[in-house]
Amino acid sequence: MAKKRYAMLIDMRRCIGCHACTVACKAENAVPLEVNATWLKIIEKGKYPDTRRYFLPRMCNNCTDAICARNCPTQATYKRDDGIVVVDQHRCIGCKYCIASCPYDVRFINPLKNIVQKCYFCVHRVESGLVPACVESCPTRAMIFGDKNDSKSEIAQMLATNATEVLKQEMETDPQVFYIDADETVMSNVEKKINYRAESSLIKLRL
Amino acid sequence: MENSDVNVIYSVQHQLPLVMYIGQYFFFTGLSAGSFVISVIATLLGRKEFKPIGKITAILAPILLIIAPINLIADLEQPLRFWHLFVYYNWTSPITYGSFLLTAYPIMGIIYAVMVYTDRQKAAKILGILGIPLAISVHGYTGFILALAKARALWNTAAMPTIFLVSAMVSGIGLVVIIAAARWKWFDKKATPEDRRKDKRLILQLAQFMAYIIMLDLFLIVSDILVLLTAHSDAYQAGMLILTGNFAPLFLGVEIFLGSIVPMVLVLGPTRYSLRAIVIASILVNIGVYAMRFVMVIGGQSIPLS
Ligand code: SF4
Ligand code: SF4
Ligand code: SF4
Repeated sequence: MAKKRYAMLIDMRRCIGCHACTVACKAENAVPLEVNATWLKIIEKGKYPDTRRYFLPRMCNNCTDAICARNCPTQATYKRDDGIVVVDQHRCIGCKYCIASCPYDVRFINPLKNIVQKCYFCVHRVESGLVPACVESCPTRAMIFGDKNDSKSEIAQMLATNATEVLKQEMETDPQVFYIDADETVMSNVEKKINYRAESSLIKLRL
Repeated sequence: MENSDVNVIYSVQHQLPLVMYIGQYFFFTGLSAGSFVISVIATLLGRKEFKPIGKITAILAPILLIIAPINLIADLEQPLRFWHLFVYYNWTSPITYGSFLLTAYPIMGIIYAVMVYTDRQKAAKILGILGIPLAISVHGYTGFILALAKARALWNTAAMPTIFLVSAMVSGIGLVVIIAAARWKWFDKKATPEDRRKDKRLILQLAQFMAYIIMLDLFLIVSDILVLLTAHSDAYQAGMLILTGNFAPLFLGVEIFLGSIVPMVLVLGPTRYSLRAIVIASILVNIGVYAMRFVMVIGGQSIPLS
């Protein structure tokens, strides 16, 4: 049998933007205030009254060619055989080079533990045969998790029969979080285009 | 792109990972590498009047390189785990080869300084020649740290390591000029007038050398920005950030104008024989290079990624 390759598929035709995944992740993984392993990016397009909101659940893509793991100087970040990228909490020295290298801004410093964390596909749940907390909590079943190398799995079948997209494909990290019917604008780097003059970045400086 | 009808309602931006400790570290390794190269040049040329400069720089290089990594360790979230770098190394990470270079280089620098001070010319020359590649790698790898973090468009260019090396030379020479001028003014009184004239000429020559390297630096920066502005969208935003965005005053005002153009004019213009003007130029150059580290490290990360 082929090696396991865990992946996530998020069907934006079903997503209602309820934030259940964010809350479930916070609770399951004790993610402190101010940081998020997953969150819902929300944008609004158009002018009143012709407007619509678009959502995008964001999380670590557990990339196949993970630049964070390649650049981690202590191998604290590494890719497991099943494809999940994890951070060894006892090995991480907090150099933050992985955060600087990841094109998706999904890594963060846990302010209570002073180490780097991120979404790791709830490896502890997956190992005991459960699905990740966010997937479990999704009321519309917009999130599908599973082994994409197992052709009988729901995710493999969905991936085979739907048009899917990933974030920032040009970064060549081979992301393993796939989206169906996500809006182009919400997937692109809107904030950069709106904000590059604003001082927002300087406020974020931790001195 | 039409932005007027797109609003971000909610998104998360995590805090900037690398703060100014890292920029400061780049600054100090740069100074160290620059002064080491000057020291070796002085030793290799072996003329009598170069000796004092060779000695000052030989001691400066290892001292600066012992200060530099303190910044690195202070930046770690888990400073007491720094030894993991040596035990759990990862050869695909530039930080790993950096940590070994950062250990080897100061040791070599100290041995070299001992050779210079005990006047063992031959050994000093051999060590110096062996040390130059080490000094270049110890600073060049810092450029690779930025260049290989592919998420940040401002860093991810092939010019980055060279820009860092060249600006290191500039700031290193600047520091040497400041120290040599102070020595000439206050500690060189016993020398004959003839020797004092020679020493001063040497300082002036050093400053001129600095001005030429500033030109090279400017060329590299201009070519980097031209390519950024014509490359993909992230790169374009990065270029605009430092040309018109909120890093423009630091980049154009401090790094380019105060830190490069003004010193060049002071050193090559009508004030070229004035020691005071040259010292001011050298101080400005160092401020400019420090600003460059800030613009690169902080500016590079300040463009939102999502
Ligand atoms: S999304 Fe970022 S943190 Fe996650 S595996 Fe990819 S490169 Fe690493
Ligand atoms: S912060 Fe931790 S996980 Fe990230 S690169 Fe450094 S040691 Fe590795
Ligand atoms: S898989 Fe787990 S860690 Fe990742 S976003 Fe979902 S709940 Fe959070």
